[in-house]
Amino acid sequence: MTTHDVMALLQGTWFAADLGPRALGHLAALGRFEEIPAGTVVVREGLRCDSLGVVISGRIALRLAVPGSPDRTILTVHDGDVFGWSAVLPRPVATSTGVAVVPSSAITFDGPALRAGLAADCELASALFERLLVSVSRRLIATRVQLLDLYQAGAAPW
Amino acid sequence: MTGATCFLPRADLDRLFAALRADDRTILGPAVSDGAVIYDEVASPAELPTGWESDTEPGSYRLRETGSSRAFDYVLPVTSWKRYTHPAFVPLTRARRDGSQVEVEAVLDPPPRLAFVGVRACEIAALDIQERAMRAGPIGDADHAGRRDAALVVAMECAAATSTCFCTSMGTGPEVRQGADLIASELDEGFVIRSGSATGAAMLAGLDLEPADPAQVERAAAQVAAVRTRIGDPVAVEGLPERLRAALDSPRWEQVAERCLACANCTLVCPTCFCTSVGVASDLDGQEATTERHWDSCFSLGFGRVAGDANFRPKVKDRYRQWLTHKFSTWFDQFGSSGCVGCGRCVAWCPVGIDVREELAAIAPVEGPRGPIPWPPAPDAGHAPAALTVVAPARHVTTSVVAVTQETADTATLRLATSDAALLAARPGQFVMVELPAFAAPPISISGIRPDGLDLTIRSAGPATAAIVALGPGAQVALRGPLGRGWPLESAAGRDVVIVAGGVGLAPLRPVIEAVLADRARYGAVRLYLGARTPGDRLFAAEVAALAGRSDLEVAEIVDRAGPEWLGQVGIVTHLFDHATWNGDRVTAFVCGPERMMQATAAALTGRGVDPAAIWLTLERNMACGVGTCGHCQLGPFFVCRDGPVFSIAELGTAFGREGL
Repeated sequence: MTTHDVMALLQGTWFAADLGPRALGHLAALGRFEEIPAGTVVVREGLRCDSLGVVISGRIALRLAVPGSPDRTILTVHDGDVFGWSAVLPRPVATSTGVAVVPSSAITFDGPALRAGLAADCELASALFERLLVSVSRRLIATRVQLLDLYQAGAAPW
Repeated sequence: MTGATCFLPRADLDRLFAALRADDRTILGPAVSDGAVIYDEVASPAELPTGWESDTEPGSYRLRETGSSRAFDYVLPVTSWKRYTHPAFVPLTRARRDGSQVEVEAVLDPPPRLAFVGVRACEIAALDIQERAMRAGPIGDADHAGRRDAALVVAMECAAATSTCFCTSMGTGPEVRQGADLIASELDEGFVIRSGSATGAAMLAGLDLEPADPAQVERAAAQVAAVRTRIGDPVAVEGLPERLRAALDSPRWEQVAERCLACANCTLVCPTCFCTSVGVASDLDGQEATTERHWDSCFSLGFGRVAGDANFRPKVKDRYRQWLTHKFSTWFDQFGSSGCVGCGRCVAWCPVGIDVREELAAIAPVEGPRGPIPWPPAPDAGHAPAALTVVAPARHVTTSVVAVTQETADTATLRLATSDAALLAARPGQFVMVELPAFAAPPISISGIRPDGLDLTIRSAGPATAAIVALGPGAQVALRGPLGRGWPLESAAGRDVVIVAGGVGLAPLRPVIEAVLADRARYGAVRLYLGARTPGDRLFAAEVAALAGRSDLEVAEIVDRAGPEWLGQVGIVTHLFDHATWNGDRVTAFVCGPERMMQATAAALTGRGVDPAAIWLTLERNMACGVGTCGHCQLGPFFVCRDGPVFSIAELGTAFGREGL
């Protein structure tokens, strides 16, 4: 798959749809398309997170390990969402385990190469971090709402 | 109707009493009891509080003996006439259960023929204001209407005032201008009296009195004019509703809450407060039960409580704000006038002496802001009743359970058979009160409207809902309804439809889905977004799976949390569409779920360009009566049961989601 193909796939996602052409080109040059069979673990909680992925199709479940019980899915990510965002951090440790629950595909970026690219290209860094912030903020908001456990049954006066 | 002004000598007052008795009326009037003047049955003028005056101040009421020959110098009794037009206890229903058979019948006792003697101008205004509240909307309170219609009013203009009076500011007194059958002013030697109605005129004619001397009429007028002067104009009412609306975040609410005991004294002595709750009494095995309406107060902690232990007004400051803003602001939206008549009882009988006049001046000062108004006006008459079905409030229809579907561990759908035309004419989004003997009746959204009955999907959350969910085929329940304003499906014709449901919020939206699919060509794209707590908490799972198989609508589901066996989406319901590509301009949205979820959904929808006037949601509040007369479900200018439960975001304005409303 060519860089042009990767650019086209990225542009089709909300994550990169409005990236400027230079930043998009630079980002695409760093990425590669991957088919992800169902059941593939794309990132594992607590381990080094070596790549950032932008989902193109399918569904990745982000799971937390709960000792004594099965892993719990706390979020699924889909077209345009990212997984492995810790890869852009100086200490890239995965915060959850990502598992493809259906056949999926993604554009993935090698962590060290991406970090080097971001350090060298302020325009790309600004655009990418903004989008990562949107993505992570969306998860934070969702987590807050989930913490409220809104649908939990409670007592009623009747 | 005002006839000639007559003079009734004091010694002849018993002739008026005799005429009232001859009209088959029980006479109620002021009487001294336990160191206070109250309204009670009075057999003769001798029982009136002759020679007594009252002195009131914030938190203080004292009777003082004067030795005067006058009987009406006490200003105001502790109690108001609502004791008789809106009694503290009113029986509502008698219910019986015999095996699986249930019968609920309304109790409506014939109203007593009463004569109210000594009614002040402010109290006449109060009778009128409360009457409008109890008769507002498509369904009036039959008990109140009967009692009010059957009462004869003998007004007595004030000859004295106390420091807590402010009728002059509220425009209700001290002069009596209308609303009474007979209007009297007390002089030392007797009463200047005139008629105010045909009934009063006939009664006056029967007394065959001499015309009043012009000097007596003049003295009576001077007397009440002196009262006006003494009271002054202590409350600046011009612009007060708007000033209060702009002061919802005033720090003064916290300050007054530190003093307020939330004892509800103010609402109990208030002549216009009408909030009630329903009590249930039954025999030990629940076979015979009665319900009774009793006075309650928006100051009660549990007044705004709903399922899930949620309480919309948990703090004293919330409840004080509710009371004060209702009285002086949202009452105008609901009933076209202030809810306060300036009698001052709430000031005198507040045990800590909170003076409403002082609070108004501090919270909503004359020079204070008058906006922004946090909510638009209440739905107008042409809009609100569009989906309402007018039913008698005391109509209880027995229905039979024909099938029960266990939807989740705690939620079941009861299919009820009925041939009742009103119930079968229910609209999507309406609700019914479900009555089972010995249990308080919960309001339940209709989850299915069939040619031969209704579906109700009920989560077991308390004793009543647990008992209802446990019913099996053949059992009976009584329904009252359909009630409330449903989903405005007609507004979605020709537009794309987005339906967003969270948890049991899918139940009231199920009839919307069915109605849209029954007339599919009438709508554009239809998208259904469903959220649930866990995969096991999804409602109507088989039906949703069937819908997902259709090509003419889009269905997406998401759960808050799941185990590894769940391969569907996990997250919050807004994740299903916050990055979608559909055009919000064309969308009419119907949303139901926990209020916080609906807030997030409304924000996501408006963020996608959906017009707030096209985002409809159904609110949960404590809907105890279902017809807007108990006060529990008030939200700003709305009674959720009567004006909703379906509202648009544009209608609710910033009242939606605001803490403590």
